[in-house]
Amino acid sequence: MPAIVPFFQWCDDTMISQAIRNSRIAFPVIENFHLFALTVLLGSLVVLVLRQFGLLYKHQPISEVAAALRPWNRWSLAVMLTSGLLLFLSEAMKCYGNTSFRIKMLFLFFALLFQFTIYNRVVKNEGTSAPVGGKIAAGVALCLWFGVGLAGRAIGFLG
Amino acid sequence: MSILSMCQWLQDTNIGTSIRESIWVFPIIETIHVLALSISVGLLLVSDLRLMGYIMKRRPVSEVYEQIKPWMFIGFAIMVITGIFLFWCQAVKAYNSIFFKTKVVLLVVAAINAIAFERGIYRRVDKWDNALVPPMEARVAGWASLILWAAIITCGRTMAYTF
Repeated sequence: MPAIVPFFQWCDDTMISQAIRNSRIAFPVIENFHLFALTVLLGSLVVLVLRQFGLLYKHQPISEVAAALRPWNRWSLAVMLTSGLLLFLSEAMKCYGNTSFRIKMLFLFFALLFQFTIYNRVVKNEGTSAPVGGKIAAGVALCLWFGVGLAGRAIGFLG
Repeated sequence: MSILSMCQWLQDTNIGTSIRESIWVFPIIETIHVLALSISVGLLLVSDLRLMGYIMKRRPVSEVYEQIKPWMFIGFAIMVITGIFLFWCQAVKAYNSIFFKTKVVLLVVAAINAIAFERGIYRRVDKWDNALVPPMEARVAGWASLILWAAIITCGRTMAYTF
């Protein structure tokens, strides 16, 4: 692990990091965008998962609901990753020593991997009702993304 | 009794003090508050976008709106309950925060907007239920709702900072 410390140190020292740290409002403003994007990302995922469990929009095929939500999911993810990267740069060394941050990155890695290799394909092919496998995939995606959110919140509280 | 002294009394109650001084309870309530926010406002986004004519255009407005409503209310209920406890344990800090006061005002405005929509244009929804782009009054209600909630989130998050 210590071999990557210089990388975190480099992140901590970039011009962007210093600019964010030197500004009183940059961090809160970026964090707000991070939170907006979180709202859209988790909200659109919850709608799709509810649909897969047959609790919402039963008259629409699952693939159609997924297609309607996809641009919102993509955009919020882009804002989330960009704002998250900026927040990380501004306190990279603090993040390095933070257990919650490490757990969050693990959850994020698996959430992205699962979504882009399995989940997006699963929902694309589902019609009026989801098979057991689709429901399991929905549950896994939900747990992974909420894990990212929970661990993220814990960064500030627990360390 | 002034509002400030009422806030002082509230946060000095047993419950207020226990939440504030506990290592775990405050973060847990706060986390539930934020996650419930992302669910309820995220769901609200979908119905607002339908009102604005940007999403699920081929589906009746009433279907998109009515089906999402119960889930949205569950999220809002969790947010209100956790929000009351968060206020309870730090009432004086909240009272002194301009962001908290603004947040309360904006919440009232958002509620008025929702009620005005339900009692106004939505009563005649059968006339425009299948419109790809709903009438102006409905679009304005959708935009207002989204902008208000973005501002409410901003105020809530900014409360935690001291400038």
